[in-house]
Amino acid sequence: MNDAEPDIILQTRNLKETYMQGKVPIHALQGVDLEVRRGELVSIVGPSGSGKSTLLSIIGMLEIPTEGSVFIDGIEVTGVKTKAIPRLRREKIGFVFQHFNLLPALTALGNVEIAMRFARVHKKERIKRAREVLTEMGLGDRLNHKPSEMSGGEQQRVSIARALANRPAIILADEPTGEVDTKTRDLIVGILRRLSDGGQTVIIVTHDPWVAERTDRVITLVDGKVENS
Amino acid sequence: MFDIILRNLSQRKVRTALTIFGIGLGIFAVIVMGSMSENFNQTFETSFALTADKIRVFGSSGVFGGSVTTGKAAEVRKVPGVHDAYGLLMAPLEGGGGMSFGGNQVVGLPPEKSQTVLGPVRVREGRDLMRGDRYVTVIGSSIATQYDIGVGDRIEIQDKYFTVVGELEYTGSFFDASAAVPLDIAQDVYEMGDMVSMIFAVPEQGVDGELLAKRIKLSVDGVDTLSPSELEEEAKQSLMIFSVITVSAAVLAAIIGGLSVMNTMLMSVMERTKEFGILKAMGAEQRDILLMTVGEAAIMGLLGGLLGLACGWVAVFGINLWLAEKGIVLFLITPRLVAVAMLFAILLGTLSGIYPALRATGMSPMEALRYE
Repeated sequence: MNDAEPDIILQTRNLKETYMQGKVPIHALQGVDLEVRRGELVSIVGPSGSGKSTLLSIIGMLEIPTEGSVFIDGIEVTGVKTKAIPRLRREKIGFVFQHFNLLPALTALGNVEIAMRFARVHKKERIKRAREVLTEMGLGDRLNHKPSEMSGGEQQRVSIARALANRPAIILADEPTGEVDTKTRDLIVGILRRLSDGGQTVIIVTHDPWVAERTDRVITLVDGKVENS
Repeated sequence: MFDIILRNLSQRKVRTALTIFGIGLGIFAVIVMGSMSENFNQTFETSFALTADKIRVFGSSGVFGGSVTTGKAAEVRKVPGVHDAYGLLMAPLEGGGGMSFGGNQVVGLPPEKSQTVLGPVRVREGRDLMRGDRYVTVIGSSIATQYDIGVGDRIEIQDKYFTVVGELEYTGSFFDASAAVPLDIAQDVYEMGDMVSMIFAVPEQGVDGELLAKRIKLSVDGVDTLSPSELEEEAKQSLMIFSVITVSAAVLAAIIGGLSVMNTMLMSVMERTKEFGILKAMGAEQRDILLMTVGEAAIMGLLGGLLGLACGWVAVFGINLWLAEKGIVLFLITPRLVAVAMLFAILLGTLSGIYPALRATGMSPMEALRYE
């Protein structure tokens, strides 16, 4: 457990990530310290190669940092055994990707429901919860449609519904509006805003200043360092 | 998880079908070759069971040397512990003369010993050979079918006609392919003089067959013996070699089928790299990915096994039906063979899926998500 304030849901301490590109070391993150409060809608912005996506991957436990710590909901996730990571990922993190990353063979319902399978949620409960969350996303009439039969906006809403399925502590959205038109962008940001207002912590990585302006706080990363937050 | 596995398999129908076909082909070979081996095994076991109480006495030049005469039977009979001893001449039914230990054969035996020799096999129709019989024969069920003859019909043996006086029931042993004739007539038509292929020595009740075999060997000059256990061991070794050759060929075919599963699964894992990344991002455990991938391979193995079993059964049944006209049974599918073939198919599929599965589980989720 860390000594952060109780309403701090995410904290990173001196986060560093270095990887080798051939023989050249690339310092993707150079000591990132940040805190996010419960229910906050935060955007991370910065130029390409500034380390935004790397930071998101480390927070989402998809990558292990070279140095430093990440605390989520009071647990130092960078200190747990590798075997425990999938469970923590299920419980603490919901991902929304730029390219939606839905499973093409599954329906909207199947894509949301599958996320709960790994949490060993009972089938009846999985279906019930998937229906509810998809209906909340305005997709009640698209439950049995496959991704190929849906618009980009609809696919991204399925992706958000999937992220919410396991009721995670934080939603991590990597360029969630990068693949959609402005009308859909407004809709997606509206949904994320609504979720945040309802107490859900949301962190968005974005290039779009319009999106960043609509978040509670903007964290700017430059060359792997937080410039302002 | 089972529904996801089936969905994944049905996503790549042609590839899945080809892989199942590959495994099926291997298991088909296992079934066909294995059933041939099983048939030989059963024939031997039944034949052995029907003559297990008798000691075989051969000329000391060996089983196929056959330099033992009828007169030796009298010497064997005198050995303490021997209840009875009599010579048997075995010669091929078709073709030239000489002694034979396979295929359709003529068994020359003293007619008065007919019940002793053929005793374990019931005469289905007609009678046994009797003292005073000459050009008559008691035929096995395969010969009856093959030559389409029965009691009262005649069969040509070495240019002589023999009247069928009895027909034996089917046993699955060498008796099925035998035509029993009086020994002296057999020796005559095959121009074997006083020679016999072997002498059957029947131990007295309570006498140990193994010890008696040794005693005969020591007491009678120029003979060698095969006790029931020695015969069983020798025959089992020969059968083992046959089984190893046939089953190895089949197993090789099945392993090639297994490699096709591995190839399919490796391709599938590579194509689904991103999907595994997504599943891991959603919190899928290593065991979930492992179960999914190995499960697919195991199901392909199971389906391939069922396909191979069905095709093998049809082929074996068809060939047996065709050969039945010739009085030959070549294949025998036993529950043991079915169990081994199915277990082998599933095991092969599962093992072939392990390496691709380990590759899938070992992927970094981030790299998998970036994979295009």
